[in-house]
Amino acid sequence: MEFRPRNYKQEKESHALHRTRVDDHPLCTPSTSHRQVVGEHHTENFFDPLRGPNTNVGEAFHNLPDEERTSGGFCTERDNQHTRDWNSFKRLLMQRFPISKMISISSISDGIMKSNKVDEISSTSSRLEELDDPQKSAKEGNASITRQEYVFRLNDFKEKIVQAWHSEDRVTALKFTIKVARLLMDTSVRQFYPTLFVLATDVMDMLGDMVWERIKQKAEFTVDGNKLCFLAENFDANGVCVDAKETCNNWFYKVGSIEDLLPRVYLELAILPCWRFLLIQPADCLHRLVKMIRGLADPLSSAYCCLYMVHRARKLLSRDTAYLITCMNDMNILLMDALSLKRDVSKTCVEKRRLLISLIEPTIEYIVHHIFEDTPKEQLANALVNLGIGGKGDNKVVSCLSIVAHCYIKELPADMVRSKSKEIINLIECCNDCSLDKSLNYRLLGFRLSETTSPQDMVDVVDHVIQVVLLWGKLDEYLRVMDAFLDLVLQNQMGNHILNVLEGIAMQARDKAFTEEELGSLQSILVKFVSHFEDLEELFALNHYLEILDMMYGRPRSIVNMHILDRAIRKGLWHDPHIIQLLFGISKSLIDEIDQTSMMDYDYQQPARLITRFVSMVDYGSDVERHLAFLVECRGAFGCINELKEALVHSSNSLAIQGLKHSNKQFSFIMSCIAYSEVTIPSISSPMKQSNLYIETAEVALLGGLVSHAEGLTESAVSCLQSLVVNGLPGIADVEGILSSFQKLCSLLVMVPWNKSNIGPSLNYAPKSLFVFTDSQSKLIPRTTTRLFSAIILLSAALSQEILPYNANNFGIPGNDQLFYGDSSYSQELASISQLAVQKLVDVIQWEHSSDARGIMALEACNCIASSFRTSPETSIICVKLLETAKLCLGAHDKYVKSTTKFLETCSLTSPDAEQEGI
Amino acid sequence: MSSATLEIKLSRPSRIYCPSEPLDGKIVVKSASSISHRGVRLAVNGSVNMQVRGGSAGLIESIVGAVKPIVIVNRIIEVRPSGRIASGTTEIPFSVTLKQSGNDNHDRFYETFHGADINIQYLLTADVTRGYLHKSLYTTMEFILETDKAELLDQPASPEMVIFYITQDTQRHPLLPELKSGGFRVTGKLSIQCALSDPISGELIVETSAVPIHSIDIHILRIESVLFGDRIVTETSLVQTTQIADGDVSRHLMLPIYVILPRLLTCPTTLAGPFSIEFKVAIVISFQSELSKMQAKSDPRTPRLWMAMETLPLELVRTR
Repeated sequence: MEFRPRNYKQEKESHALHRTRVDDHPLCTPSTSHRQVVGEHHTENFFDPLRGPNTNVGEAFHNLPDEERTSGGFCTERDNQHTRDWNSFKRLLMQRFPISKMISISSISDGIMKSNKVDEISSTSSRLEELDDPQKSAKEGNASITRQEYVFRLNDFKEKIVQAWHSEDRVTALKFTIKVARLLMDTSVRQFYPTLFVLATDVMDMLGDMVWERIKQKAEFTVDGNKLCFLAENFDANGVCVDAKETCNNWFYKVGSIEDLLPRVYLELAILPCWRFLLIQPADCLHRLVKMIRGLADPLSSAYCCLYMVHRARKLLSRDTAYLITCMNDMNILLMDALSLKRDVSKTCVEKRRLLISLIEPTIEYIVHHIFEDTPKEQLANALVNLGIGGKGDNKVVSCLSIVAHCYIKELPADMVRSKSKEIINLIECCNDCSLDKSLNYRLLGFRLSETTSPQDMVDVVDHVIQVVLLWGKLDEYLRVMDAFLDLVLQNQMGNHILNVLEGIAMQARDKAFTEEELGSLQSILVKFVSHFEDLEELFALNHYLEILDMMYGRPRSIVNMHILDRAIRKGLWHDPHIIQLLFGISKSLIDEIDQTSMMDYDYQQPARLITRFVSMVDYGSDVERHLAFLVECRGAFGCINELKEALVHSSNSLAIQGLKHSNKQFSFIMSCIAYSEVTIPSISSPMKQSNLYIETAEVALLGGLVSHAEGLTESAVSCLQSLVVNGLPGIADVEGILSSFQKLCSLLVMVPWNKSNIGPSLNYAPKSLFVFTDSQSKLIPRTTTRLFSAIILLSAALSQEILPYNANNFGIPGNDQLFYGDSSYSQELASISQLAVQKLVDVIQWEHSSDARGIMALEACNCIASSFRTSPETSIICVKLLETAKLCLGAHDKYVKSTTKFLETCSLTSPDAEQEGI
Repeated sequence: MSSATLEIKLSRPSRIYCPSEPLDGKIVVKSASSISHRGVRLAVNGSVNMQVRGGSAGLIESIVGAVKPIVIVNRIIEVRPSGRIASGTTEIPFSVTLKQSGNDNHDRFYETFHGADINIQYLLTADVTRGYLHKSLYTTMEFILETDKAELLDQPASPEMVIFYITQDTQRHPLLPELKSGGFRVTGKLSIQCALSDPISGELIVETSAVPIHSIDIHILRIESVLFGDRIVTETSLVQTTQIADGDVSRHLMLPIYVILPRLLTCPTTLAGPFSIEFKVAIVISFQSELSKMQAKSDPRTPRLWMAMETLPLELVRTR
């Protein structure tokens, strides 16, 4: 078998596609006109994956407005909107206060207990005990009931009410509802109260709606069912007939005769909308009701009663909020009484208070929200004055609870927060109670202020706040507040304040370890700085910034570090040694922190990626030696990151090339780069990666003229591949990887010059060893084996040419063609290897079980052999045999079979005699 | 077995009428078969029934006796002469005016009132008299009488409000020592002349109280007096309790007093010869006390150690 001589230059020219100039970059977004032209010319099924979705996007945009129109809420009624709001609020309320399984209830809730007859025996026995020791039972007047039982019984009530209503027994329905309302008098259930409220008000809402419907029915239809009139959505009492009014009045009489205040108020609220049948201005009732609620001394029941009032009042279609303002002011007074120190201050009491506040908070929030939502813009200022925010006299003692102030700040429209910022600060200052920490109010104010970007000058406010908070002298509070105000400061470019904030932190943090909470705030603050300063140099130049960062520890510090690195890798290459050093330090502390805590993959990946990216973005320019020193340092510091080591090898290799380009003289530098790579690669865990890096380094070494190094490296690459195969069955991805590395290696070997030894030319690590490798793994991964052998054949064929397809001449390395072309032992060596390979190749194909795969393998082999060897009887037989195999496996009409047949024909045209010989 | 039923339906579902208004309605007879009868009659009956029980009149404890009722009106109208009522549903309309133009000053139409000792009640009775062999059909219905609008005064120009103070010193019954020493002061105002259709309104402020308040309630009391022989027997009883404060309410916060007057159980303050109906309103403050827990249920009118109260007369009027 003889190698086919090739003229690569000519082949390239003849096979190259005809090239034409284009005006646009193929990947940039094409103008539509251009696209049309393209479409006309190439009507075949051309699909550009980068361009494909464009049309769909356009369609999607067209569709959008339609969808919005259908789902958007213009046509939906305000009432429905409110119902939705209320429902979601109720859900939140129930979620916010998860309840224990057992609910302890006091004797007030006996309504729920009485409905249960099973407990009768125990209740009589407890009554006997009561007689024995009345004081004891008075103290312990609590019973327990499971949550499910409670809910079940409430539902039972609900069913009974519906039943009674439908059997025309409305008085009974009302009586049951009163029983349900009475349950709300028992505030000893504490944690369960919000849930109880939701359940009980559901029942009351239901009754209220039924009453409403009944009266509406009476107003619109006569007893006989004839239509009297139609009540429009916004009807008033004038259009309602006497009969309906009479019924309506009766309901209010019934409800008015309830003895206890709380159920009476609740029931009136339930049927509150019905006032519209009687009064022209039904909303006036709210002013009375809000004052009636004052009679409820328990803050919890009072607050929830107010909440229910707000909910029901929405049905009056009135936008009057004056009653809500009264309500808030009352609640303020009530809560202040409840929290004032006149009552005992034991630990349990503090706990209780905290629970109380948390239970009441959602109600305050809801009410305040509605005040600010419903009050017309022009009256808002006035409403604020009535709420005690910004009265005329500054000396006016504003009495407001922290938690209430908190809700005010939270719910005020953003522009009002800005314009009233001074008044709000006054308000916060005046709050001196335990319901909420003052700093939280300042914090919220900070956030709210940064919501809008009105031109108003906030410098005074920020100044004031910084001073006030500094005076407290508590670091945690300072951080908490500054965290919030930082947005504002940064937004408005208040340079001095930025420094003041940092200085304040540094001053207070000196000689003090941060607590968890402080670290959290610090993290947030420092990250805000990072995202504000696009230029890291500017950030690092800030006084105290790095000092503070240094004081931090743990996960928060890592997070800040990661943000800094993330910022660093977005900027481009880093040249400044000082900054590089800082970033290196940051990376180091990041990795140290991770080492100390956990090695969870998740925690690890992000920092590893960031550091790797940063390292590869470092560029010392022409100072390559310093760069290499940096790489050495990196390897020492971040030895544990596999990803990084890979990047380090890449960097050092590119450094070597850079050194090569700048001056050929720095041979020793290139040596040290290669040595660096050589040392680094073995520590990388994946053999696949190792081998690829070896190949890369070998290329570099070859270019640097270090032929023996290159050889050594290729050897290592092969042994890596070998180890992959030895260590068990490689996965599909690995197989692909092995194949491509192998092919790459073969193509590299074309350039590596052989040695001239006494016995003739020999490659230390010649295709022979590749052959050995291929042979050894052929049993494990037979399907790729053909390709591996093909690669060996192609390599041998290439080496046999008079002119190699490519060489490393530019770097002063002679090619094998120059060295050995015509040398008989050289070509003999090549021939013997390739012959062996052909033999193996044919064998391997026979072992393959799957006929499809066998066919394709045969064709691949056939193509390889035909293009590598001169036509001869020997090769023809092999090729024809392979082709037959392929035809058997794939069928004669297979595209690949056909094209291969064609290719064989073009090859054999040159020597028709071969065919005759075959016959 | 006769399956006939008799029912009176009034033109107003509320059943409220004035003496000079026609009392319209119909008698509805439902019967499976036709009925022959000797006339369908409607009786209108109004009377003041009184009784005297023991109690405040200690002397006559044993004589629980009914006083002879005062007849206000008693009239029988034949709505339909004897004849036959067809099977199915038959409606016989009627219209009666209580006040007859001839003798206005003769009868006084007191308003309907259901009290403890005095009952002013107006009844309509329909009956269908049938032969010996058949039971007559019979039904009764109460209707409510309110004074003629024409006779009424206009709404009082300004509702009379009285100011009240309740302190430890205004109490005529013994108080708990801590109440005596700690002191309390509750002030307020209340309308003591009040239209029946309006709520009793007023306000109340707890100014100080050393002992926490348990509850503040408004009681409406009725005072019924009956002339019994040569004595007047007076009985006070509770009509309705309305709580206006539950728990130790904030000091200096105005609490509204808003009490809807119950129908039938109240009527205009009436001072007639043989009887009188008057009302009072009591503001009762109960303070938190261990003692009160021991005796939770008790007559709210009884003065207790942990309670303070103020009772004011209440004139109820019917307005236009």
